[in-house]
Amino acid sequence: MKNWIKNSLYKGISFNTLIPAIGLALVLLIYWIQQPLIISDFGMVSISNQSVALAIAAMAQTLVVIAGGIDLSVGALISLSSCFAATYMSAAEGAAVPILVGTLVLGVLAGLMNGALVVYGRLEPLIVTLCTSFVLGGLALQIRPQPGGAVPSWFAAMLTGNLSFLPFSLVLLIASICFIWIPLWRSRIGRAIQAVGNNEQNAYISGLNPRKAKLFAYAVAGLLTAVAGLFITAQTTSGDPNVGEVYTLNSIAAVVLGGVSLRGGRGNVAGPILSGFLLSTIVSALMAWGISAFWQSLIQGLILILVLVGVGWQILRSESWRQLLQR
Amino acid sequence: MENILKNDRIAAIWRKTGFLQQIAFPVGLLIVLFACAGAINPQFLSWDSIRIQLTLATFIGIAGIGQTLAILIGQIDLSIPANITLAAILSANMYGQTSSSLLAFATALGVGVCTGLLNFAGVAWLRVPSLIWTLSVNLVLQGVTLVYTNATAPSSTISPLVRWVVTGSIIGIPALLIFWTLCGTACLLVLHATAFGRRLYALGNNELASAMSGVNVFQIYLPVYLTSGIAGSIAGVLLSGYSGQTYLGMGDSYLLIPIAAVVIGGTSLAGGSGGYFGTLIGSIAVVQLDSLLTSLQVSPGLRKIFFGIIVLGMMLVFRRKRATV
Repeated sequence: MKNWIKNSLYKGISFNTLIPAIGLALVLLIYWIQQPLIISDFGMVSISNQSVALAIAAMAQTLVVIAGGIDLSVGALISLSSCFAATYMSAAEGAAVPILVGTLVLGVLAGLMNGALVVYGRLEPLIVTLCTSFVLGGLALQIRPQPGGAVPSWFAAMLTGNLSFLPFSLVLLIASICFIWIPLWRSRIGRAIQAVGNNEQNAYISGLNPRKAKLFAYAVAGLLTAVAGLFITAQTTSGDPNVGEVYTLNSIAAVVLGGVSLRGGRGNVAGPILSGFLLSTIVSALMAWGISAFWQSLIQGLILILVLVGVGWQILRSESWRQLLQR
Repeated sequence: MENILKNDRIAAIWRKTGFLQQIAFPVGLLIVLFACAGAINPQFLSWDSIRIQLTLATFIGIAGIGQTLAILIGQIDLSIPANITLAAILSANMYGQTSSSLLAFATALGVGVCTGLLNFAGVAWLRVPSLIWTLSVNLVLQGVTLVYTNATAPSSTISPLVRWVVTGSIIGIPALLIFWTLCGTACLLVLHATAFGRRLYALGNNELASAMSGVNVFQIYLPVYLTSGIAGSIAGVLLSGYSGQTYLGMGDSYLLIPIAAVVIGGTSLAGGSGGYFGTLIGSIAVVQLDSLLTSLQVSPGLRKIFFGIIVLGMMLVFRRKRATV
């Protein structure tokens, strides 16, 4: 047990996690200089609330990317779960809890659909999730053509409120790490997911079941995405068929910034979570300094490019041209 | 015996040209789609309707030139939507300020070349996976557009030359179609009748092998990404001519649709097999499918669902990978 903690701490503080950690610390520092109020219970809640959705979506994306795939349907699934929850919660007063569970089941089913199409359909993850993003986004639009709906006030308070310095959204994030990520990651299946992402053929020869591993990765990613969708629903207290769109690309950005290899098999979840926080807080930090929100995508893009150039340059120096082409 | 040999040879030719993948399947799909459309409403088969379809398909087809080339070498270009928007807005502004079609076009070309060079630098030189690199470039271009326009409505003075290319016609044939035919023919010729085309396919099949047999991979990557950037910005200018205005997010729907067109056209996302002919048919098929669903008056949500399911279904039937494990 002790060894495990030491090990994961060591792995957690790798070079890859260091970039987003330092970046986040810098951004928070810059933010704090201009707006000291962020070290208050209100400030904590606002930072946590605007970041947790992307952090959880990034966890989902991380899982799929480590399994050697990519999930372009994250945004559509977030929209769908938001529309589903907000619409049916407002329709049936007493049925909030079954609807919540139903949304999570919906997420798992959507993930399983992606996984089954990749595993049994033998199609490229890119094209599968591209198509399912149309299907899921269409379903969201079908349930709720215009933004609207409602959630019970206790539901919104439960996810977005705070207990002095502890925002409940942070509790949600920690709960998803403790109850979804770690049990999976520490299990045989979790190991198999990494092995399959690294080299499917070798994993198979070593007696692992690549199909099962991939299916699990996509299904759990669906579950996490639904959690992110539920959180956004609590935050906006309504459903919106377009609310998730930005999360597809942003989750990929967070994953890359977090040092997860897009070729699969390598990376941990701490980096993407921190990057999710970094990408979300940077905008409000700059706005506190009076820089207009229009700069958001330019700054996010430039950060990504800088990190990619840094990582690419490092690899370029350390490997021969032939090794590079082989990868 | 001879018969078997002959059959083998025919099969080999089929495989080599990818007849089933690239020609039979997309063309068959197109015929089915047109037949469905005609059965539902004969109006669909009138020249006016077909002309509109072809116009819409042209934008996808031209943006698809770059996407096809990028996918053929096993990469992808996701920077097309922001490229389209930026090129359209900048060239419209340039025309509004100088009233010179040439300068406006040069501006768009400049956007395309810059995008292409940026993509080339990251993908070929730094060896960053193209998916994420071109996505970041897309984000940066989007940011540049936002900061440049300051989120106000950009200029909407479109050069009459561009408008003529989109709406005009030469002896009854729409100028836009002639333009697309020229671009498409050039692309097909380069792919199938030059040494460059062969090297491009070789690179897509196995980069290491082609590099070790003497192909300079930079000499392939650079033209591919330059073409992709320029094709994107030309599509942007044409699109502004079609809609008669420019606006933020005008290229957004060109992220996924050209990829769908390329894949329907039989080009493998793994690289090395496929070609532009499939994309050509694929872009018409995508437009036809969309307008068919529109004409059935299904809700926008259902239309998206059907679109996704139909493309998925076609992939499942025709484009499965060989089982590996």
